[in-house]
Amino acid sequence: MLAVLVVTLWAAVPTPVSASATRLTDLPSTWVDDRGQPFDLRSMYGRTVVLSMAYATCHRVCPRTVDYLRRLQNEFDSRGVSAEFLVIGYDPDSDDVAAWRQYRRTRHLTRTNWHFLVGARADVEQVARQLGFEFWKMDQHVIHDGRVVRFDQRGVVVSSDTVGGL
Amino acid sequence: MRTTRYAPTTCARAWLSLALATSLGLTPTAHAAEDDKARITELEQKLDESLKMIRELSNKVEALEAREAQRTSAAGAAAAGTAAAAGTAAAAATASAAVPPGPANPTPTAPVGAATPGAPPVVGPPAPADTGARLTHLEETVSQMANAPQRAEDRGMAMHGFADVGAGTHNAQFPKYQGADIAELDFFLTPQLGARTRALFELNFEVGADGEVGVDLERAQIGYQFSDSATIWLGRFHTPYGYYNTAFHHGQWIAISLRRTRFLEFEDHGGTMPAHTVGLWLTGSQRLGEQRLTYDAWIGNSQRITGGTIDMNNAGVTAGSTMFGGNIGLLMSGVLDGLKVGLDAFQTRIENQDVAPSQFTQVQSYGAYVVYDTDRWEDIAEWHFFDNTDLTGHTGTHHSDAGFVQIGYRGGRFTPYGRYERGSFNQSDPYFAAQTSGNSYDREALGVRFDIDLSSALKMEFAETRYTDRYLTRYGEALLQYAIRF
Repeated sequence: MLAVLVVTLWAAVPTPVSASATRLTDLPSTWVDDRGQPFDLRSMYGRTVVLSMAYATCHRVCPRTVDYLRRLQNEFDSRGVSAEFLVIGYDPDSDDVAAWRQYRRTRHLTRTNWHFLVGARADVEQVARQLGFEFWKMDQHVIHDGRVVRFDQRGVVVSSDTVGGL
Repeated sequence: MRTTRYAPTTCARAWLSLALATSLGLTPTAHAAEDDKARITELEQKLDESLKMIRELSNKVEALEAREAQRTSAAGAAAAGTAAAAGTAAAAATASAAVPPGPANPTPTAPVGAATPGAPPVVGPPAPADTGARLTHLEETVSQMANAPQRAEDRGMAMHGFADVGAGTHNAQFPKYQGADIAELDFFLTPQLGARTRALFELNFEVGADGEVGVDLERAQIGYQFSDSATIWLGRFHTPYGYYNTAFHHGQWIAISLRRTRFLEFEDHGGTMPAHTVGLWLTGSQRLGEQRLTYDAWIGNSQRITGGTIDMNNAGVTAGSTMFGGNIGLLMSGVLDGLKVGLDAFQTRIENQDVAPSQFTQVQSYGAYVVYDTDRWEDIAEWHFFDNTDLTGHTGTHHSDAGFVQIGYRGGRFTPYGRYERGSFNQSDPYFAAQTSGNSYDREALGVRFDIDLSSALKMEFAETRYTDRYLTRYGEALLQYAIRF
């Protein structure tokens, strides 16, 4: 049993997540937004972008992340700063366009500069890896932390905030 | 809230992985990642050196051109002569660029123009068009290398898990013990395979009824995802009856409550239902307008009772019987967002191997559940009914039922919850009579979950349990649990 434990503990070292600075234009660009329209991430170039990841049936971390985004939006509004808010779904299997539309409706997230994006699984995983969103899926649960990444108008990462802290 | 300002590349986890891999002489994946980093660093250094050299050569050319222009202007030379001189200078520059800096060809440390008396000041002229294109190409290559998606084999196998420890007036699963306890260390392996192949393994180190730590492969399933709405699994999985058994698994951190209901506990922890099945499982969901329909259908080995406990027959059956069932649920939307209702049923033949010759019971179970899961509430009601037929003693069909209602309120870090559960098991039914935990009972519990941070929680529960037939007794419990995920 000791051997099993040693091997298991060795394998338990989490996969390193890339924390190297990534530009917005380096991320996969093809997504679908919560209106079912194609969304090209490159169209955000030249704008301040706030990006996070979430899943629609998360009731522990994501509500706090969304609260944080709301506060950030208010802060931007008070300073007269315009920004685009992007939320990429962790789980494209269950977080489809209809799920995000429902999510926005029930949480009154009606601002047009907020975009909830659905993408291919590989693209979701690539974004998570490039921006340091560590997550894993256990059946219908997505185990993850809260993170918000900000890009400046040149598409360069200027900060990465861990949110959802209690 | 923590804020990370990006600094150059070093990643502590990568170093930790590298150190582990080196010490064990394993994981070529880590070496591959380090090789890429080293190559990128080397390329960046070369890029810097090239830029520096180009700038210096451009300065040289500029100075030579200026000097030549002055000379030809003074001599009244023809324009053709100037062009020839510029061509010579360009050729010389190209030749110089081909020779790497070294002792025989030292790189100048100051701009030529600045060191040439009388020459006009030179401030970084743009590189020739072809050089610019080459530089752009090189930059793109470096960027692509830095941001390229890692191959699955380079990423290694992701592995996560849960653990919990506790203390109480009784052990939460085995009430004969009291004091401090370790409950489980649950490793969750989800290797990255192809685009449609899925795999899930759950390796659990847990304390058993004998107080010893044992290892169990709680789940071992490999599946193929046909589409977003259909995945088929083969292996050992959590039997998809009701809601709770597939929504919550061995890691107690994921659940609001401190423990599972008694009748839904895992088999070796006193559960009275077949929590695991070894077989084939088709599962998925389909949109119906704004609603979502979920479904499960499964078939697997029939089960047996040995040592008073249900066993899922990991190796296969000897009596050639099966267990099969289905579950259908509907996730609402609109004003009913968060509400899920569902029905399930299963049938199997259980062999009781604790008596000789073995006794057989046909178990038929029907269930219903209602769940309200929102940012504020986690409320679950689930009930199961049994009509079990004694196939050996021919004592007829016996009816039993078990269920629970749980209400939880998510109030920030604190999540208080209350639960009522009951198992009314007919003791004439050989299926329940043969199980150590097959007695009827009811339990009331009040508890609270306190989220210390995003990966650890402290839970406290006060419960009162009454045994109502095989034994007539009651006991109260005060339980504490520290649960984490990693």
